[in-house]
Amino acid sequence: MKMSTTLKALGLAATVALAPLAAPAQAAGTMSVAIALDPGSWDPIDTFVVDWSSAANNIFDGLTARGADMKLKPGLATSWEFLDNNGRIRFKLRENVKFQNGEPFNADAVKFTFDRLLGDEGKKGPQQSNYTSIDHVEVVDANTVDFVMKQPDPVLLTKLAGYGAMIVPPKYIQEKGDDYFNTHPVGTGPYKFVSYEPKVSLTLEAFPDHWGGAPKLDKLVFRMIAEANTQIAELQAGRLDVATLIPFGLAPTVEKDPKLSLISITGPTVVALRLNTKNGITKDVNVRKALITGIDRDAIIKAVLLGHAKPIASFQADLSFGYDPNLKPLSFDLAKAKQMLQQAGVAAGAPIKIDFRGNDATFREVAQAAAGYLQALGLKASLQPYETPVLLNDIIPNGKTDEAWHNAWGGWTFDYDNTAYLMYHSGEKWNPYDKDPKLDAMLEKQRGIYDVKEREKILQEIARYVADQALEIPLYNQNTIYGVNKRVKNFDAPADRRFRFTETTVE
Amino acid sequence: MAVAQAAPASRRRFRSFELVLGVILTGGMTLAVLFSGFLFPDGGESMDLMARLLPPFENPAHLLGTDPLGRDVLARVIVGGRISLTVGVLSVMGAVVLGTLVGLVAGYYRGIAEIVLMRFADIQLALPFILIAIMFLAILGTGVDKVIFFMIVAQWVQYARLVRGSVLALRDREFILSARAIGVGNGRIIFQHILPNVLGPIVILMTLNVANNILLESSLTFLGLGVDPLIPSWGGMLADGRTYLQSAWWVSVFPGLAIMFTVLGLNLLGDWLRDYLDPTGQATK
Amino acid sequence: MAGFILKRLLQAIFVVLAVTLIVSFAIRLSGDPAVMLAGGSNITEKDLQNIRQALGLERPFYVQYLAFLKGLLVGDFGRSFMGGTPVSLLISKALPATLLLAFASLLLSIVLSVPLGVHAAVNRGRWPDQLIRILSLVGLSFPNFWLAIMMVLFFSITLGLLPPSGMEGPESFIMPALTMGIILTATNVRLVRTSMLETLSQQYIMVARSKGLKDWVVLYKHALRNSAIPLVTYIGLQFGSLIGGIVIVERVFNWPGMGTLAFDAISARDYPVLQGSITVLALFIVLINLLVDIAYGLIDPRIRTE
Repeated sequence: MKMSTTLKALGLAATVALAPLAAPAQAAGTMSVAIALDPGSWDPIDTFVVDWSSAANNIFDGLTARGADMKLKPGLATSWEFLDNNGRIRFKLRENVKFQNGEPFNADAVKFTFDRLLGDEGKKGPQQSNYTSIDHVEVVDANTVDFVMKQPDPVLLTKLAGYGAMIVPPKYIQEKGDDYFNTHPVGTGPYKFVSYEPKVSLTLEAFPDHWGGAPKLDKLVFRMIAEANTQIAELQAGRLDVATLIPFGLAPTVEKDPKLSLISITGPTVVALRLNTKNGITKDVNVRKALITGIDRDAIIKAVLLGHAKPIASFQADLSFGYDPNLKPLSFDLAKAKQMLQQAGVAAGAPIKIDFRGNDATFREVAQAAAGYLQALGLKASLQPYETPVLLNDIIPNGKTDEAWHNAWGGWTFDYDNTAYLMYHSGEKWNPYDKDPKLDAMLEKQRGIYDVKEREKILQEIARYVADQALEIPLYNQNTIYGVNKRVKNFDAPADRRFRFTETTVE
Repeated sequence: MAVAQAAPASRRRFRSFELVLGVILTGGMTLAVLFSGFLFPDGGESMDLMARLLPPFENPAHLLGTDPLGRDVLARVIVGGRISLTVGVLSVMGAVVLGTLVGLVAGYYRGIAEIVLMRFADIQLALPFILIAIMFLAILGTGVDKVIFFMIVAQWVQYARLVRGSVLALRDREFILSARAIGVGNGRIIFQHILPNVLGPIVILMTLNVANNILLESSLTFLGLGVDPLIPSWGGMLADGRTYLQSAWWVSVFPGLAIMFTVLGLNLLGDWLRDYLDPTGQATK
Repeated sequence: MAGFILKRLLQAIFVVLAVTLIVSFAIRLSGDPAVMLAGGSNITEKDLQNIRQALGLERPFYVQYLAFLKGLLVGDFGRSFMGGTPVSLLISKALPATLLLAFASLLLSIVLSVPLGVHAAVNRGRWPDQLIRILSLVGLSFPNFWLAIMMVLFFSITLGLLPPSGMEGPESFIMPALTMGIILTATNVRLVRTSMLETLSQQYIMVARSKGLKDWVVLYKHALRNSAIPLVTYIGLQFGSLIGGIVIVERVFNWPGMGTLAFDAISARDYPVLQGSITVLALFIVLINLLVDIAYGLIDPRIRTE
């Protein structure tokens, strides 16, 4: 049979008797969305990739939820209160909620979810470490649970809105087993699982009994397409409704197409060039400051990123908790930068090499533009592309970088703590060179503070200190961009690609 | 319809047409690349973010337009040949030297060297090339030297097999046997009598592999494993320019044409050489 | 003959083992699957160790490799690090997709190269011959990803005729098969042309022609049939290189085949999937080479002594 398909294909090719293009995306009530990669499992505790969340956020609910505006709101918990001097958080659960298989949602389901996440099953996956601040979950009554904390965690409520904290059905998993659950997920979310073809697509359909009301779409198809050009081609051919992988160079192509619209919103991703404080000319803080002064980030944002980004002064987006509007980046001044380099005793033609992720089409251009500015400073700039796993697993953590390296970060919690701690605390893998007791102390201190104002103040201090040390060249906060077919209405574009298509419709 | 009557005159003309076209294309591109340093002293690296994506044929300073960073496409196309040709030529030279030596030894002395070589060849034939390339570049890191090194490692076996085959056919021939009988040393027999006789097929394979490796370099860049994007290279321009195919076609079409002309020229030359040096087709593997 | 086949079979097993060893070893030289699984982000060393333990990565290499071999014997390739799907399930979906595409490319290439090659042979030395040979080389002179993208722009976006990606209906085969087939066509045209020239100069063809049989009958019925054997064996050999080079075409056309599977496995450092898929690909290539070898051995006994 397979052979005959091929023969038919060739017959078609030979006769050029081409049927009008089949367009599955255009079916009424069905919307198709591209994700770049296949997480392999739909179990919340197995993966930690945004692509999982893009799809699975429609299958599952957490105790809390976060809307497209990034504001925290009640999810499966309707309210919560902090008890025992913040050592215990009590959640009131939403009543009359059902999983998509008919199983009831209650306190036992919450306990089961977190026992599983914090137990042996969770140990095998990457999610457990996000939730280690929780000691255990206690059932108070059918609709009330207590989270007993091991240590304070100001970001926990945000973390409960996603990833490993998604509530899973106990009976279903116990009966069918974990393997089955991986490929046949069940949650309480607005869409229920229909089918999964590895490396091809995940299909969901509306779950009419969802506690928030039935979603407006009948069917939702997530297609895995890794190559940006292919996503755009599918979008242009009308076979895809939402493209999520758009290097900025492709943005004008989407904008020009009358059938499509380009959505560009502030996103979580910040990009910087982290500097080597141990070796090379970047050892000297004055040189580092000269480099920051010598790169015209506004011009790069305007010309290379076509305005789809904002300048940053610290390694966080303005959506992030801890963002300080008063902290301004050093402004571009070529002459001054040259002078600073001279004062620091850097000879003309001194080498500076930037390590970067070779498959990031947008950053390839940014890196080249940045190198152009460094050359204008009289330095000998060069670029070293790396395969992403090598850069992240070996070059950075083992301190094998050149003078500068590409740091891109999209912390989903939108809290500077998460980023700053991992970036600047001694011994963390993203911080291969620095050991700064003062910085360490600040980073540790804010982790024990629940007072929002006070914690924000410390985070801002940290940002200012890092800027003062010029540990990195802050480049920009990159917009999240989507290419969307105009037949899609009420597309509530989330900054972090974690979609929730409850109100969206297609014509 | 007159079939297959040998038409010597027109056939010769065809062959020479192939040769002339091949020489013009390859030679022209090579010359331009060799003199690129004089033509474009900046190496095609000067940027001007305010003059990005200028269309071609409108501005005499940028005859073929500019790329997304405002660099001159013409300069980058000409200079870009350096990387492509360096990769193509050096990788082939390395593989030829290594492969020929091993092939000569294996074919002449046979024994363990031959067995090891043949098993090596089997293994290499069974490895899906691009996948192994991705893996090795991930381990070694990227860079022109590593790309060349990998191509040598991946391709020397082709030459070794070819040379071994030719040597096997030669080693028992009259002139070799008589040379040995009058006491000529093995080294001299190999290099003076056998080597010249296997050069033909090697040259053909070389020409085709230079073409092949130029394409390969661009494919590796497409997969994100290319060389420093500051240094212009055809593969890099093509791979990066694919994003702009609909909005600024010239960014990738001109380097695409440069690759096509060069590779076509090499293929024509290889094809011509094959007819000229190897009419029986033993090297047309 | 039995001895020859046995010897070849043993060699084939050796080759596949060597391939698995090289791949298993090399992929472990760089990158850590536990970190990849964590999305390269917020995770402590202790958690990473837990993940490594769960994935069996704490064991020495030879233990991991022997476990892989043991699984291989019973057809168990293990489970993907990404989500725990059995590798054999992933391969069972990807392999048909790749084989279908490879067959389609071969067939397409034959459909293109036979008439072109015959036409070139018949017009030997005249302009159609030249044109065909040069055009077939032009097809060989593009990087295939670029050719693929250009075709998508033309056929899918400008004309709206073909789906830009995916494996769906028969029409979705056309562009990927063409991208790969064009590369084979250059060599195949040459092959058809050469063997046709040889056949055409033989006595019985001349006789057939002189008897007044129609040209096309002579060409396609008598002459081509004679050229078919070398062509078919040669195409068998191409199959291997075709499978090896399929990664890029699969990527551009988002084809759910072995190339995509293996490429994603490298990116994610998903050892079991990579080992499994490359082993299967190598098995295929070796098997086809073996069949060609045995066929040659049957036809030409001299080869057996080699």
